[in-house]
Amino acid sequence: MNSWSTVATLVRYWMKGRFTRATAVAMLVGESFGLLLVLFVGGTFLSFSSRFNLGGSISDASLSLLFAFFLVGLIQSGFNGSGLPVSSADVDYVFTAPVRPREVFAAKVLMNSVTTVLLSFPPVLVLYLRFAESYGTSAGSAVLAGMVTLAFFVMGLFLSADITLSMNSRLGPRLKLFRNGLMAAVVVISLVPLALLIPGAPPLLGEVVDVLPSGLAAQVSFNLVSGARWTVATGLGLAALGAWFLGLLALGVRMARSQFYEVLRLEDPGSPATGEGGEKGSSRLETRGLSVWAVVRSKERVMMSRTKETRSMLINTLFLAGFMVIYSLSGVFQSSPTSFLFILFIIGSFGSGTAARWLEKERLWIIKTSPLDLTRYVREAYRARVTPLLLLLSPVAAAVGAPLVLGDLNHPTSLLPIGLSLPGALEVAAVMMGGGMYFAARYGQSTADDLLLAQGQDLTDVKRFLYQTVINLLLVSPIMALVLAAGPAATALGASSLVPLSAALLGVALAYTVLILNYLLSAAGRSLRTREDL
Amino acid sequence: MVSPDNEIEIGNLTKVYGKVVALNNVSLEVGSGEILGLLGPNGAGKSTLMKVVVGILRPTTGYVKVGGCDVAKEPEAAKKNVGYLPENPSLYTGLTVNEFLRFLGKIRDVPDDLLRDKISEALMTFSLEEKADALLGTLSKGMKQKVALIAATLHDPKVLVLDEPLTALDPKSQVFVNSWIAAQGRGGTTVLLSTHNLEIAQDHATRIAIIDKGSIVALGALESLRKMADAGKDARLDEVFLKLTAET
Repeated sequence: MNSWSTVATLVRYWMKGRFTRATAVAMLVGESFGLLLVLFVGGTFLSFSSRFNLGGSISDASLSLLFAFFLVGLIQSGFNGSGLPVSSADVDYVFTAPVRPREVFAAKVLMNSVTTVLLSFPPVLVLYLRFAESYGTSAGSAVLAGMVTLAFFVMGLFLSADITLSMNSRLGPRLKLFRNGLMAAVVVISLVPLALLIPGAPPLLGEVVDVLPSGLAAQVSFNLVSGARWTVATGLGLAALGAWFLGLLALGVRMARSQFYEVLRLEDPGSPATGEGGEKGSSRLETRGLSVWAVVRSKERVMMSRTKETRSMLINTLFLAGFMVIYSLSGVFQSSPTSFLFILFIIGSFGSGTAARWLEKERLWIIKTSPLDLTRYVREAYRARVTPLLLLLSPVAAAVGAPLVLGDLNHPTSLLPIGLSLPGALEVAAVMMGGGMYFAARYGQSTADDLLLAQGQDLTDVKRFLYQTVINLLLVSPIMALVLAAGPAATALGASSLVPLSAALLGVALAYTVLILNYLLSAAGRSLRTREDL
Repeated sequence: MVSPDNEIEIGNLTKVYGKVVALNNVSLEVGSGEILGLLGPNGAGKSTLMKVVVGILRPTTGYVKVGGCDVAKEPEAAKKNVGYLPENPSLYTGLTVNEFLRFLGKIRDVPDDLLRDKISEALMTFSLEEKADALLGTLSKGMKQKVALIAATLHDPKVLVLDEPLTALDPKSQVFVNSWIAAQGRGGTTVLLSTHNLEIAQDHATRIAIIDKGSIVALGALESLRKMADAGKDARLDEVFLKLTAET
C-alpha cells in the first residue's frame, strides 16, 4: 500500500469513528449555538462601531485579538501534548500497525483540518456575510475572507501539532526551563494585539502584530470583507500568510519523520500528565487530626493540582484579567449600563467551565460504597473547587472595577450598578459552578465500567451541555436583573437613599446566591444517590 | 454449614433494568466467616448481585441485609461493615498510593493512630512498599488491583465482596491473593467471591452458588453440587458447573 492510500484509509477509519449519531447531534447543536453567537457578536460589534464611529484599524485590531485568543488556546494544547489528539484505539491499533509515523501525522492533520473547516465554515461565512452587508461589499468578498480565516484556523492546528511534536518527554530540567520560557514568550507575543486596545499604544506594536499569523489573517480578512483597496502591502500580507502556512506544515512533516507517539497525550481528564510528573509524587494529602470533610476537600485540591486543573484555571484567569483590564482602560465599559452585564457574564462564566469535568475525575464507586453522606460530599467538593476560583477572580473583579469606580466618583448613582456588578460577577461564577456540578452529577460519567454505551454517553453529554447552558443562564438572570435595575432605582430614589438601597440589593443578591447554591448542591447529591450507572 | 449469625442475608431480591431482569427472586444467606463462591456464565447477574450487596444498586424488590442492617434503609450502617473490590477498579489516578489509602482510611473511619501503620503493613504484605509514593495513574494493572484489594480491607470489614480478585495479577501474585482470601475466611471475615477461576472456588469456598440468567440454579458445598449434577464423587468443579448451567 502506498503512503497516500494509507493516509486515505486512516482518515476514512477515523471519520467513521468520529461521525456517529451522537456527534452529528452534537455538531448540529454546536453549529446552531455558533451561528447565534456570531450573529449576536457581529451585530453588537457593528452597532458599537457605528455608534462610536470606530475606524477600520480598530476593527482590524479586534479581529486580530480574537484570532490571537484562538491561537493561544491551540498553543496551550500543543504544549500539553494535545496538538495531535489520540484515542486509546489509535494507540492499540494504529500505532502498532506497520504505518510510517509521517503517514499517521498526515492523516491526523488532514482529519483535524477537514473537521475544523467543516465545522467552522457556516459560522465564519455568516459572520462575514453580515459584515459584507454592513460594509456594502459583495458576498464573494465575504466568502474569500472566510477562506482566509479558515486557512488561519488550519494553520493554528499545524502550529499546535508542531509544538507537540517538538516536545520530548525525556527533557532534562534545564531544557524544561527553556521550554517553559519559550512557552511563555509565545503566549505573550500572541497576546500583543491586546495592547492595541489601550488608547495611545505605540504604533510599533501594530507592526509587530502584522507579522504574526493572527495579525496577518485579520488584516487580509478584514480588507477583503470591508472592500478596502488592494495595495502592495495587502499582497505582501497574503504572501506572508501563505509562507506561515507552508512553513508550519513543512516543519511538522519534517519533525514527523521519526516515531513521535510517546509525546502524544491520551484524552483522560482524570490522569496526571505522566511525561511531566514522572512516576513519583510527593505526598500532599495529610489526614492526621483532620475531620473527614477536611480530608475530602484536601483530596479534591490535590487532584485539581495534579491534573493541572489549578494551573489552567490560573492561566485562564491571567488572560481574562489582561483582557478585562485593557477593555476597561479603553473606556468601553463606561459607554452603557449593559456593559456591566458583559463583566458579569464573562467573569462569571468561568465558573461552569471548571465544574464540567468534575465527575470524570471522581470515582463514585468508592464514595457510594463508603458510609459518607453524598450530599455533604458534593458540598465539600464544591467548597474545595469554588474557593480557588473566587480567590483568583476577586483580584480580576477588583482590577476591572478600580478604573470604573474612579471614573464615576462624582456620579454616585452610577456607582451602584458598578458596585453590584463586581461581587455579582463572583456570585454568578459561584452559581454557574454549582450548576455545572449539578449537571455533571445528573448526566456526567465517572468510571469506565458503566452501563451506558459510549454513544449513549455522547448523547447525554449533548443534553447536559444544552440544559446546563440554558438553565445556568436562567439561574443567574436574577443577579443580572438586580444589576440592571440598580441604576434606574438609584436615580429614582435619589442619592440620599443610596446606602440603604445598595445594602438591600446586595443582601438580596447574596441571599439568592446562597439559596440557589443550596438547592443545586442538594439536588446534585440526590442525583448521585439515585443514579445506578456509576 | 451456615453459621446462625448471617452476615449477608438476601431475600427475594429482584433487579430489573428497563425490560431486562438482571436478578430474579434471589434468596441467599452467608454466615460469618464463610467464603461463598459465586459462579456463573458472563452476564448471569453476578456483578449486579454484588453491586446490590454493596449499595451501588438498589433492589427493585426484595432486600439485602449486611451485618443485620438493610442496605437500602440503613445504607451508612450497612456500608461500614463492607469492603468491596469491583471487577475493574477505577482509582484516582492523580493521587499517590499513600494518599489514596489515607483518603480511603479516613472516609471509612479508620482511627488516625492506626491508619499509617495499617497502610505500611498492607503495602509490605502486597510487596508494594516501594510504590507508596507512586501516582496511581503510573502503576500497572496488577499493582492497581493490589492497591484496590488493600483499600477494600483497610477498615477491617466483616464482609468482603470481591468481584474477580485475580484479574490482571501475575501468577506469583495470584498464588498470594489466593491464600490471602483463604486467610480472610479463617480470620472470621465473610467473603462473597465472584470468579471465573474455578480452582480458587473449589479450593477455598465453603459453599458455591451457581447463578444463571439472574437466578440461583444451585447452591451448596461441592459434594452436594456433584449430586445435583449427577456427577461422580471425584468430578471437578468445571464439569459440575458445565452440567448445571447447561440444564438451565
